[in-house]
Amino acid sequence: MPSLPKHSLKAYDAELTELRAMISQMGGMAQSLLDEAVGALLSRDAERAMAVIADDKAIDALEVEVERLAVQTIALRAPLADDLREIICALKISSILERIGDYAKNIAKRTTALSADDVFEDVTILSEMARMASGMIETMLDAFVARDAEKASEVRDRDIRIDTLYNTLFRDMLTYMMENPKAITPSTHLLFIAKNIERIGDHTTNAAEMVYYGATGNTLDTDRQKNDSTSFTTSDEIDT
Amino acid sequence: MNPMIDQPHQDQFSAPLAKNASPKMSARNVHVHYGMTHALNDVSLDIYEDEVTALIGPSGCGKSTFLRCFNRMNEMVENAATTGEVRIDDKNIYDSKTDVVALRASVGMVFQRPNPFPKSIYDNVAYGPRLHGTAETNSDLDEIVEASLERAGLWEEVKDRLSDLGTALSDGQQQRLCIARAIAVNPQIILMDEPCSALDPIATGKIEELIEELRSGFTIVIVTHSMQQAARVSQKTVFFNQGSLIEHGPTVEIFTKPKKERTKDYIMGRYG
Repeated sequence: MPSLPKHSLKAYDAELTELRAMISQMGGMAQSLLDEAVGALLSRDAERAMAVIADDKAIDALEVEVERLAVQTIALRAPLADDLREIICALKISSILERIGDYAKNIAKRTTALSADDVFEDVTILSEMARMASGMIETMLDAFVARDAEKASEVRDRDIRIDTLYNTLFRDMLTYMMENPKAITPSTHLLFIAKNIERIGDHTTNAAEMVYYGATGNTLDTDRQKNDSTSFTTSDEIDT
Repeated sequence: MNPMIDQPHQDQFSAPLAKNASPKMSARNVHVHYGMTHALNDVSLDIYEDEVTALIGPSGCGKSTFLRCFNRMNEMVENAATTGEVRIDDKNIYDSKTDVVALRASVGMVFQRPNPFPKSIYDNVAYGPRLHGTAETNSDLDEIVEASLERAGLWEEVKDRLSDLGTALSDGQQQRLCIARAIAVNPQIILMDEPCSALDPIATGKIEELIEELRSGFTIVIVTHSMQQAARVSQKTVFFNQGSLIEHGPTVEIFTKPKKERTKDYIMGRYG
């Protein structure tokens, strides 16, 4: 990406820089909320989960700030071409990041709902999913800041792997629940948590597609590969 | 067959938006020199009917010079020399057989400062039809004057004072009077050289609305310093810089996704 020359108006450049910094900050917060929520779940730490629920408010507040600055910049600077695309992109990414914060909050809420004696089966897949989703958020943000289309399209490819892991986990959970009715409550929570992480992957992918558009003016092809087939899974298909 | 015209100059953007396949006006390898100054360097472009083409670029980029190629106005500048081909309806207007007076009647021009004659509103509009003998009778002339003022969106404001001086109108009204004067001789093409730069936003809005209304029926080419104005009124935008045509295409493309770095930097106001 060749870097763009500066605007004649320094204040305009400053606004765009501020907008970019706010998105970075929001993204960093969303990523750490996800890490913390999953960390709290794995360590069964209700207090840590409560902190996640509280911290989500800060992301919501930043989203409002991003909207304010974006609208102000559009009104006062009449941005065009790359500048216009970047501002639209920032607006959409900020609402995606806010959404990711909500998913993290939901994971934290479910964590507080799980009691200490609820038995979990293997959570390696879940923590691997969370690790991948967190990495995708990070890469998407790097791509946004650097206006790097290549990096943005790489995020999309990684989402397929989260979907695959989610399919595996979904089948595992169904199996546990069929074997042991006591596992139903914790497994259901775990399934929703996994679904949240899978959705975070999808949203991050959408954000990466916005980054790609912002950087190039073109859209990544819309029919991206989907690998989440759980919506079509029935219990008949589960080998017990 | 003219090899210049038949050369595949078409890229995806020189194709017309609508059904009309052949361009109304076309320029091929046009150069304009003012003395030693090379004001326009090898410009080729097709311009289509029923759409507004905006020419943008920094001062001295050649956009007004290019505009003036289409009615041979550059010839009025001393030491100006034009080479290349400029065609209207596939006729080379720089041909020695071209009747320049008839050419300028079919190609109307509106300037930066409104320049009504120091005559009545009526006489301003009637001037061209009288000169070219378009009207047979006085009532024909009345009709032409009314229709032209109507088309220029000025009739309602001036119908009760047609004998007032044109120069007594407000700036915006004067500019619309000049447009009425231009269309009274029934031109096919209207060239506008920064027609709103001396007007306030309300008068500008009226002219822009008028441009949109005149689009069907005329081929309009407008030079403007305001990128927002180009975005508002045109379907095609052409960017000039230092005498060269840098990029042209549908206005939406130019303002959201320009292809050339120089276009991008100019429209975004990134001059360093």
